[in-house]
Amino acid sequence: MMQIPCPFCGPRNESEFFYGGPVRPSRPDPAAVNDEDWTAWLTQVPNPLGPVQEHWWHARGCGTWLTIWRDTRTHDVVEAPDDAG
Amino acid sequence: MPYDVTFTRLETQALFDLKGRREAVQEWAGEALPACPDQPNSKTEAGGATLMFIGPDHWLLRADLAREAALEATLRPAEAPPEMSIVRVSDTLAFFRVIGPEASEILAIACPMDLHESRFGPDTASFTEAFGIKALVTRCEGGFEVGVEQSFGPMMLDCLTRASC
Amino acid sequence: MTQVDRLATGGRIDRSQTLNFTFNGKGYTGFEGDTLASALLANGVRLTARSFKYHRPRGIVGAGVEEPSTLVELMGANASGNCPATTVRLSEGLVAKSVNCWPSLAFDIGALNQLASRFIPAGFYYKTFKWPNWHVYEGPIRKAAGLAAAPSEPPAKGHFESRFGHCDVLVAGAGPAGLMAALTAARAGLRVMIADEGTEAGGSLLSRKLTIGGAPALDWVAQTVAELAALPNVTHLQNATVWGYREHNYLMVTERAPTNPSLLERTWRVRAGHVITATGAIERGLVFGNNDRPGVMLASAVQTYVKRYGVAPGKRAVIFTNNSSAYAVAADLVAAGVKVVAIVDSRETVPEDARAQVPGIEVMAGKVVTEARGARHLRGVAVTAKTGGAARILSCDLLAVSGGWNPTVHLWSQSRSSLRYDAALATFLPDIPAQAISAAGAATGDLTLNDALRSGAEAAAHVAGCDTPDIPEAPDLPYAVDPLWRVETSTGKAFLDLQNDVTVDDVHLALREGYSNVEHVKRYTTGGMGIDQGKTGNLNIIGTVALAQGIGMDQVGTTTFRAPYTPVSFGAIGGLREDTVALPYRHTPITEWNLAQGAVMYESGARWRRPGYFPRAGEGLQEATNRECRAVRERVGVYDGSPLGTVELKGRDVGRFLDYLYTNVMSSLKPGRGRYGLMLSDDGLIMDDGVCFRLDAHRWIISTSTGHADAINGHLEEMLQTRFPDWNVFITPVTSQWNNATICGPKAREVMAALGTDIDLAPEAFPFMSVRDGVVAGLPARVVRVSFTGELSFEVNVAPRHMRALWAKVMEAGQPFGILPVGSEASHVLRVEKGFLSLGHEVDGTVDAHDLGMGWVMSKKKADHLGKRAVQIRRDGTGPRRELVGVIPEPDCQIPEGAPLTPGGGREETEGFVTACVWSVVQDRWVGLALLENGHARHGDTAHVRLKGGEVIPVRVTPPCHYDPDGAKLRS
Repeated sequence: MMQIPCPFCGPRNESEFFYGGPVRPSRPDPAAVNDEDWTAWLTQVPNPLGPVQEHWWHARGCGTWLTIWRDTRTHDVVEAPDDAG
Repeated sequence: MPYDVTFTRLETQALFDLKGRREAVQEWAGEALPACPDQPNSKTEAGGATLMFIGPDHWLLRADLAREAALEATLRPAEAPPEMSIVRVSDTLAFFRVIGPEASEILAIACPMDLHESRFGPDTASFTEAFGIKALVTRCEGGFEVGVEQSFGPMMLDCLTRASC
Repeated sequence: MTQVDRLATGGRIDRSQTLNFTFNGKGYTGFEGDTLASALLANGVRLTARSFKYHRPRGIVGAGVEEPSTLVELMGANASGNCPATTVRLSEGLVAKSVNCWPSLAFDIGALNQLASRFIPAGFYYKTFKWPNWHVYEGPIRKAAGLAAAPSEPPAKGHFESRFGHCDVLVAGAGPAGLMAALTAARAGLRVMIADEGTEAGGSLLSRKLTIGGAPALDWVAQTVAELAALPNVTHLQNATVWGYREHNYLMVTERAPTNPSLLERTWRVRAGHVITATGAIERGLVFGNNDRPGVMLASAVQTYVKRYGVAPGKRAVIFTNNSSAYAVAADLVAAGVKVVAIVDSRETVPEDARAQVPGIEVMAGKVVTEARGARHLRGVAVTAKTGGAARILSCDLLAVSGGWNPTVHLWSQSRSSLRYDAALATFLPDIPAQAISAAGAATGDLTLNDALRSGAEAAAHVAGCDTPDIPEAPDLPYAVDPLWRVETSTGKAFLDLQNDVTVDDVHLALREGYSNVEHVKRYTTGGMGIDQGKTGNLNIIGTVALAQGIGMDQVGTTTFRAPYTPVSFGAIGGLREDTVALPYRHTPITEWNLAQGAVMYESGARWRRPGYFPRAGEGLQEATNRECRAVRERVGVYDGSPLGTVELKGRDVGRFLDYLYTNVMSSLKPGRGRYGLMLSDDGLIMDDGVCFRLDAHRWIISTSTGHADAINGHLEEMLQTRFPDWNVFITPVTSQWNNATICGPKAREVMAALGTDIDLAPEAFPFMSVRDGVVAGLPARVVRVSFTGELSFEVNVAPRHMRALWAKVMEAGQPFGILPVGSEASHVLRVEKGFLSLGHEVDGTVDAHDLGMGWVMSKKKADHLGKRAVQIRRDGTGPRRELVGVIPEPDCQIPEGAPLTPGGGREETEGFVTACVWSVVQDRWVGLALLENGHARHGDTAHVRLKGGEVIPVRVTPPCHYDPDGAKLRS
């Protein structure tokens, strides 16, 4: 049971949250990209062995959609890595 | 009953869901409300009404049901400006009062939050879980109050009964 | 024969309280304070078990959770399987039996396996029982393996509890280090939880004769426990094992005897600011021939039985050790009047301080036991020089072995903190913490009392940020060890893992066959995979691997330590979640009325319990459903639509927000009007369908399907918060603020009029897909003209507090028109007749709106909406699509939902499937819906359902709508 830092509520049990998946790049303008790029954006989800930025929804708390950096090897909630853009 | 507690389902409470920036809420409805709480997940009380700061730009006003009509007349949900939202939600939550010397034992079974008085004082009001269901938890005289979505009311009663026996 | 081996005095047992118990059908007595193991030993019972694979005779080896041999099944009211006898607290009337033996302990048929043991080495099952597959053999083998049966009945009284706990410091273990740590942290004002698996605090001090501050160590224990009990910031649990260490300092603690009398067991899920593992150390066995004979026991266990339980586990004892701690055991045996024949010490040089413990006893330095003798019980041991040579036989009935001490690093390791091999102590020690954790006492290699007290105090002081308190004087025998992973000159089976019958030969075989990694050795031999998780044997396995490979212990490394540290009852994990509250459930205010009407209730998505149908006397599901459907089609029906998700939206940007979420345009809606819409996810899948109404310039309400109410709320918030945080939109779920009675059927308007309302019900004043606020039957109401049945419908929404009143008035007002309540079965029939889609039936991850014949809902005006691009890309692809059609079975018969359609009914790749099939009251026959390849172009054709047995049912393909295709009725 992870403890997830909510910006409004502070650290709370994972069970209060819904997992929202890894954060992807901003949604491209569908009129401005070709099919390949669109499909790549849609289907290629970050899945690193290490820190990943991800969305969580504090569904049973304050309702905030928040992001954290979580190390997939350890579940540690970490600071954003240096190369995080 | 092995745990020394009593629990009761409260009558429907008047509840209004308020959303918007603090200034917008205060400008429109300030007179009808207790002072806006400063701290996240805290509450203020005045004139028999409680105002809870339960999320970013999100407030919950609670009072006795008898005051619902008067509050609605003051708050005028339909006329409120687009910078804020006021929705009457009195029926959405079923409140349970759990009191007695061992009320905190029951809450420890129900709720994953740390409810120790050093962390969760009389001014605290927060949504969390109770028996795995989203629940609004506050302290009250001699114990706690737990509000869950009204449709889960029978199940809460079931769980409280099992937890306390 | 009563307690022949009970010492005349001593032990922490209450001799005034005699307890009767039964073991393997025979009656015995013990005392309050005994474990089942100590009571059996007191009664002279030595043969207590049969081993798992070879069914060899086994006795009691340990005195606590490390016990590898004697597993028992508890019978009766508190039935429980596979309990180590050493952890079963004796109680009046206890009934236990050995596992692993059939038909009886003394005569065990499985013991024939011993004769064949040469043929069942490690990997035997893997190699032998693989053709045609393992499942052919699994049943009989599992029966022969014969661990205890699961209890068939729930516990006779009481229940389990699971709760949450929070503390600044969790101390695991209430031995000297743990008590000292808890005391130090508690005095510094921290919130402390201390949990210990024993029935009383003290840990090793309960079994040893030591002093603290010049007084008996147990006096200090009692004082400390009393001080902790008096502090409000301390929670002290005994009989409570910390068995799991999860991420973010979340630990699992199970109390086996909580104070609340109605509780069987209680699990705490503890979030700890810091954890101090003061979990002590567990003694290793020694590995030599027939080292599993009853009578071979851990030295520390022997000491525990003598000192703590007042039991002499033998009359003539030999000690076999590679370290100094066993010398204190020898001294305690002598003091208890047990003859100590000799101490066999594998070390060439025995420290003087150790020898000084046992004046007058022969110490055989540099010697090893190569073989235990005796068939069902130890009768003697063969001793040789470490390098071999002639054996000297020592006659004895008890061999106390000590292979050195392993710090109990299970919790430490579960926390992902690392271990290092310490050559001086010949064991693995805690190294680098991975979470907020520290180790203290024997658990960190501080194996003497003074060191344990000091390290407990230091660990807590570090957490509390205070000075380390003064430590009382606590003299102890220094610990020194020379590793002896196995006796290389031994003869006979030498067991590394007694519980799983893993021998040195098995490990060597695994290595020869290429399983050289220690994790592979473990899986191939099953060494360390028993209920005891190899607590006494794992390091000897690692040592055996290291010796065979000629590498260091650190290079071999340990296997992974996993939760649970000791077995845990499933009930203790589940807690309250049983019976009716195993899953959450929801009710509407009409539930009592429904039940009073005899409705058959069941779950129908999102945990709602709803009426399926309302059978009258003599009616089954079909008859009741038909009657309800006819009421709606011919007269009027009413159903409780409260569970449908409802969300209110407010703000200037709601219109464009909804345009982004729905496939069609919502922003153009006029106040009071609504539209049906589809929500897609960005990969083009249909997430949900529902209706959207505009209340006024800035306020809207949308409905979601019942099962998706929470998910759609999350979706709305995600889109708003993560994509359009600057847009002026507020989202408020109001599902539970509105209940509704949906009145549907040709007479619905008459029923509305009879209820009385200030809303103009005329079709032109209140057309289909519009919403009005007003008063209905004297209640404030919001009435919506939508239809999920194809009939004229009024969805009358009121606050739940008014729902029962509304319902009663609807039934009363509708009575002259023959109104009937409608359950979810009839609703399903009515929507299938209309060809209305249902998520999960017609909508799966493959279909889009065009396939459903709903291309009109895909706006061409909007440049973008969620899912638009993905649907385009998919439709640009080639290949046939499965499209929604109606199907009429010919001949008239029911087709199971999900039945496949194949070309010509042949045994070929499917071209679709039947999504629903119902008895239609308007068609007076079975009708269905299906997804069929190129279905839209095949109306009028015949397709074929192929059932599992090869039966083929021809179906006529039609448009999906079987009733009122123009929609005149629902608009009326």
